[in-house]
Amino acid sequence: MTTIQSQPERVLVIDKDTSRSALLEQALTDQGYEVICRLHDTEGLIARVEQIRPDIIIIELDSPDRDVLEHMATLNSHIPRPVVMFAESGDSQTIQKAIKAGVSAYVVDGMSPERIQSIMDVAAARFREFQALRNELNDVRSELEDRKQLEQAKRLIMKHQKCTEDQAYSAMRKMAMDQGKTMTQIAKNIISVLEMLS
Amino acid sequence: MTLIHSPTLDTPEKSDLTLGFLPLMDCAPLVIAKEKGFFSEAGLNVQLSREGSWASIRDKVMLGLLDGAQMLAGIPLASTLGLGSPKVPMVTAFSIGLNGNAITLSRELLAEIDELGHHPSDSSAAGLKQLIACRKASGRPKITLAMVYTYSAHSYLLRYWLSAAGINPDTDINLTVVPPPQMAVTMKKGLIDGYCAGEPWNSVAQEMGIGSPVISGYQIWNNCPDKVFAVLESWHDAHPATHQALICALIRASEWLDKPQNSDEALEILLGNAYLGPALSMLSQPKLKQGNRHFYRYAASYPWRSHALWFLKQMRQWQQLKEPQADLKQIACQVYRPDLYRSVADKMKISHPTIDFKPEGFHDDDWLLPGSAGVVTMGSDRFFDGGTFDPNQA
Repeated sequence: MTTIQSQPERVLVIDKDTSRSALLEQALTDQGYEVICRLHDTEGLIARVEQIRPDIIIIELDSPDRDVLEHMATLNSHIPRPVVMFAESGDSQTIQKAIKAGVSAYVVDGMSPERIQSIMDVAAARFREFQALRNELNDVRSELEDRKQLEQAKRLIMKHQKCTEDQAYSAMRKMAMDQGKTMTQIAKNIISVLEMLS
Repeated sequence: MTLIHSPTLDTPEKSDLTLGFLPLMDCAPLVIAKEKGFFSEAGLNVQLSREGSWASIRDKVMLGLLDGAQMLAGIPLASTLGLGSPKVPMVTAFSIGLNGNAITLSRELLAEIDELGHHPSDSSAAGLKQLIACRKASGRPKITLAMVYTYSAHSYLLRYWLSAAGINPDTDINLTVVPPPQMAVTMKKGLIDGYCAGEPWNSVAQEMGIGSPVISGYQIWNNCPDKVFAVLESWHDAHPATHQALICALIRASEWLDKPQNSDEALEILLGNAYLGPALSMLSQPKLKQGNRHFYRYAASYPWRSHALWFLKQMRQWQQLKEPQADLKQIACQVYRPDLYRSVADKMKISHPTIDFKPEGFHDDDWLLPGSAGVVTMGSDRFFDGGTFDPNQA
């Protein structure tokens, strides 16, 4: 039996990362869902869930608050239950994808599997996208850090050996090739040794 | 003293494994098995994955994202029964230690109980019972106590302690779940009045000066079990030799952990940031064996089917398990696999119990159990209210 949804599902997003949950809220709103609340601080979680009465809760997989939600669900049938409880064999791929992306969901009885799947797919995609952005940012950060160290090591050699920038750089290249190490490793060694001497 | 040697085992079907754990004192056997090389000596390359919740551990094991994990003893039983999760059978052949829990009440609640004339040395919940009645009479809100998970030893120890004093844990108080790292802070904010949790979270409340342990898990039930290392039943069927290698490494780690001369090194390893660092740094003097914890002594790592049966009986008593026709003994035998433990222990040439069930509540002191190769020293198994549990009559 299919129920006609006259009202959009009410979604609660629980995520301590506010930029990620903002991204997810936008994506869900674009798809026609109503994000009624985003929680980044879960103090008094039980009272808030009882007051908000969401149809579906999207929560990061590793959140310790999942154990709180699961306990609530055993006590009160209005409280959303773990999505895996509703999984037909066909849905397990959606759930697996979501779990790999680090997201989990709790849903109330009577929500259509298609709607659950669609919300979870949106959430998983946003979590993945966010992770990719974060990785990219970390790469850029560490690249900047590497460059700073190379510069610092070069300046220290120039000061100690009273040589030109080109000579300092060639010396470092040679050390890296002779020792089979990366330029960053060599720069770190130089900094620690020369800073100790000065 | 020499440690157990590493026996020759069958080649594991799978050598690269990921195991899940939660940052609690009893993740120690997994951490030590990795850091002291017991896993690698068993031919296993193990990655340990720190998880944020028991639900996360359960889901990841169910979906094969983790090969196995540290779990509350109730989790493999609940999963096999389909309580709170899809029905997915799990098995355990290794118990992670005995004791280590306590019930802590807030300073404010203890002061109220004190005013009623109950002496702090009374470790029963009689004072709490009286306070509940007083609060009810004066129309004050119910007391709220927390545990770490619905299907946990903490839940059943707390319920046992409360009900022994005539308190109905489901109606006389609010019983809620709070993740262990948030326990002390939640109590400080006045959102809960007390809790049952494992170490280091009782010591943390005491050091913060916000509450005191009123009774330890050991006092409620001497040498009670708490957690297990569990895998999916289907995973075990596909990887029997790998499972044996894991059990072997974990037994060696447990034995290592129970040697007093190793406890400083063990703490140092556990203090690493990837393990318990953030939690233990809250304590001035963290202790590995706080609360009479044993990892190996008293056959602590042996998966007693009677322990499984005790947990299952609790699930039924508290209406978590509502199917009256469920055969609890059969479930206990399906999930708890002492036969697997014994086959590994035989290869390791260590003496182990040869029975699957033992009665509880009949020993006030150490006692001797005939083992496979000489007697096994067992610990006391007394319940604080003098209760007994005979698995043959369960």
